[in-house]
Amino acid sequence: MFVSNVQRFSLPVQLSGYGQMAGIGFKNADMNFYHSYASINQKLAWGVNLHYGEDEASILPRDPIPLRIPRIGVYTGSGTSHSWLWFVELFDRMLFHDLVFLTEDMVREGVVQDLDVFVISGGDTIRIAEGLGCEGAGELESFIRGGGLYIGSCAGAYLPLKSSKQYLDRFNFVDIKIANLSKTLPEVKRLHSKASTAYGCDFVYHPVREDVRLRTTGKKPFTSVESLCAPLYGGPSMVTGRDSDVLAYYQGFTEKTIFLVDESFAEKTLVGKVAAARTAMGDGHLYLFGPHFEHPHFPMANHLVATAIFWDMKRERINRKSSDGEIILEGAAKKKLVLDIKREISNARIVSVGLEAIPVKWIIGCKTYEPEKIRVFLEAIWKRINRLERSGGFRLQKGADEQLVALACQVRQILREMKSRIDDRLDTQDLAGDLFSSLRRLTMLFLQVYFDSYACNLEAGSEIL
Amino acid sequence: MDLEASQISEDELDDELVGQKIGGVGITSSLYGAYKDRDPIILGAGLLTGTLFPASALGVISAKSPRTGGLTHSPFTLKAGMELKYTGFDYVVIVGKSKKPVFLWLHDGVADIQEASEFWGADVWNTTDAIRKSMGDDLIQTLVIGPAGERGSDLAQICVNYWASGDCWGFGKVFGEKNLKAVALRGMGLLEISDPEGFVDQCFEVLETIKGGAFAGKSGVEDILTAMGEKDAKEWIAPFVHRHSACYNTPYPTNTFVYLNENPKTLAEPTEQEPGFLINDVGALLTLKRAGLSAESACRVLKACAKYGIDPCAVAELSARSGQKDPDKIEQSFVDLKGTVSVPEGGKFSSWAPMQPLFADFGLSDESAYGDWWVRRQALAYLFGIHPIFANMAPELSEELMIEMFNKGTGLDLSQETLDQAIADVCL
Repeated sequence: MFVSNVQRFSLPVQLSGYGQMAGIGFKNADMNFYHSYASINQKLAWGVNLHYGEDEASILPRDPIPLRIPRIGVYTGSGTSHSWLWFVELFDRMLFHDLVFLTEDMVREGVVQDLDVFVISGGDTIRIAEGLGCEGAGELESFIRGGGLYIGSCAGAYLPLKSSKQYLDRFNFVDIKIANLSKTLPEVKRLHSKASTAYGCDFVYHPVREDVRLRTTGKKPFTSVESLCAPLYGGPSMVTGRDSDVLAYYQGFTEKTIFLVDESFAEKTLVGKVAAARTAMGDGHLYLFGPHFEHPHFPMANHLVATAIFWDMKRERINRKSSDGEIILEGAAKKKLVLDIKREISNARIVSVGLEAIPVKWIIGCKTYEPEKIRVFLEAIWKRINRLERSGGFRLQKGADEQLVALACQVRQILREMKSRIDDRLDTQDLAGDLFSSLRRLTMLFLQVYFDSYACNLEAGSEIL
Repeated sequence: MDLEASQISEDELDDELVGQKIGGVGITSSLYGAYKDRDPIILGAGLLTGTLFPASALGVISAKSPRTGGLTHSPFTLKAGMELKYTGFDYVVIVGKSKKPVFLWLHDGVADIQEASEFWGADVWNTTDAIRKSMGDDLIQTLVIGPAGERGSDLAQICVNYWASGDCWGFGKVFGEKNLKAVALRGMGLLEISDPEGFVDQCFEVLETIKGGAFAGKSGVEDILTAMGEKDAKEWIAPFVHRHSACYNTPYPTNTFVYLNENPKTLAEPTEQEPGFLINDVGALLTLKRAGLSAESACRVLKACAKYGIDPCAVAELSARSGQKDPDKIEQSFVDLKGTVSVPEGGKFSSWAPMQPLFADFGLSDESAYGDWWVRRQALAYLFGIHPIFANMAPELSEELMIEMFNKGTGLDLSQETLDQAIADVCL
């Protein structure tokens, strides 16, 4: 059998990460952000000494200390939506490769203490808080006080704000108030299911979605940008206390902004309120972003996330614990694993594309899930398979290969069952919870293998750029 | 794909082969030569198949015909040719006989051999439904056989989804002998083109040019029949016509959907599960009409052929010869139907494309030139992946243009001499 020849009218090699951005509408200047950080991370992986503000690291503010590779934890546990994959995309583009994907159990077990940076993106804040529990809150506090950097966007930004609400009351880390909180709901003009969330006796309401314009304050480390855009999908507008530095305010709207309430009410809620804040806690820091600074369509905002990581990551090196159960998969075994994953993910993608044409939605927790969200997970795997295939070997935990294939198989089975039931006009709500949970676990496991293998190859001297 | 050993291996397509044989039937013929000791059946996409080039809908099946004993080629269109390309496999060589019924599932660069025992015995329509249901996608394209192929009829046809195809060589029997019930296709990849902007711009230019061509304002099988001299064809079939549909990216809708169990003028969704039938075999319809069948009877015969997976052209020819006009009796005859049917000019390409220019005259002064012209025109269509019926309507799709598009798309340098040689090779 002949496969498509990449030189012809045929399937292109699918690149991931840095190489994949060409053609999605970025200007050269935007591409430079990614290139700059990718260059820093590649040099650091090769053992080159770099200093803040110098040579390859001139994109960062000056500081006499040497740079080092940050170890970053990405929260993928219960309550998360799909937006943690945006952080993954950012890290992949910029060659941040020392990543750990954490569930709530791993946070509670103290895995965060091995990290330099811990990020939580969007989702259902209360479910995240519930999942992490008291132990998770304690570990998180200890991590930050010990010098760690916490970056929270959207739900991840709400989490450490002052609250007396059940589950959230364990995370009263910073004295910042939510400005988009009200006892009465404003009149909603569109997208009712996205316009508010019950918050005890009050409501957190979301006046707009999509792009908003932000103005930075010029405070370190956000010194290189005066204004920027970022997308808002339910994140907070904030009122800070004295302990926090305001990094950016909401400045206004763009032609892409979607108003869920009256425009003047949206302006009153957002404009002039804090969109990004930096707060010290013990030896560490929290960066809280209302909008999704990590969204892959916003290079300038991505640049600020990367700046924050290098600027406020834990300064003391943590020795990585070696894992006894780690194996390197090569040759026929690697080839078989790639094919097995490809098979299942392709099958799942094919069904999920079909589901996107069907008017169906599911409510999980307090969030509405549309079929389009399924493919966000699947594509995060699909577009990286070829790159993983071309890498030298797979670094993974013993048994992770079987687990990966089993999870992918489970996702495919649930999707086919879902499609069959929808065709027969039967309810699928019970399947949706299982589906998104399996998708999350599958994607997390795959990405862990991807980044571990990638790091292995990068540290071995592979030229990525 | 070795069905006997249940093994699959993959190879890269090399530049040299493309430079010499172009694509489509050029390469399936070459592969046939390489594997002919193992009685292969080969699926292939034309060089332009699945691109934005007008009428780039054709996929090709090449194998030894049970009817002629020689290497022959059949086109498959609708969305199946395009879908083959997007599976990531340009060519698929199938050898050996499976121990049990299987179907091949080609998707996104992955080829799987899947159990098909539960579909064995099912007709074409039920098989396609069952495959789509089990794989969870309604857009899967199938090349599928029905009972005719399973029972080893020389007249068995490989159908596309639910409908007839250009298989007039008995390839359905070849599938059946291999215990191969179907090939299911689905891909969501992208095509890589050497000069993408230039290629796409030119595709749009060509489309603009041909849209105003001789076929403008015409549609469906009935206008093709009229162009072939069957002046009352439109009037004959009109009471049943529901709509016209085109194959992938083809500017002329070569397919006519008729309602047999519902009023075709209704605007509402049909209440019947099987309200009608898609006519895409002009030759079969013409033969049945000339044999004196009513339009409804002719359509019922064609529908029965598609479900049973038997070549409607052969059925029409044999029925006309026997004088049978009752659709039920014709359907009942499928089980034992045998007989010699005519072989198209040159004995290589399918008679699915009428053996004459349609709407345009292509500069041919008299009918005696049609034979050679048709063979060369079909060879060109099968090499480049152009809808073989549309190729006979659009003189704008010239050999010079094909060479230009080849060079833009591949970055290689195809000359008229190489094209002449490639055409000569496949017509041998």
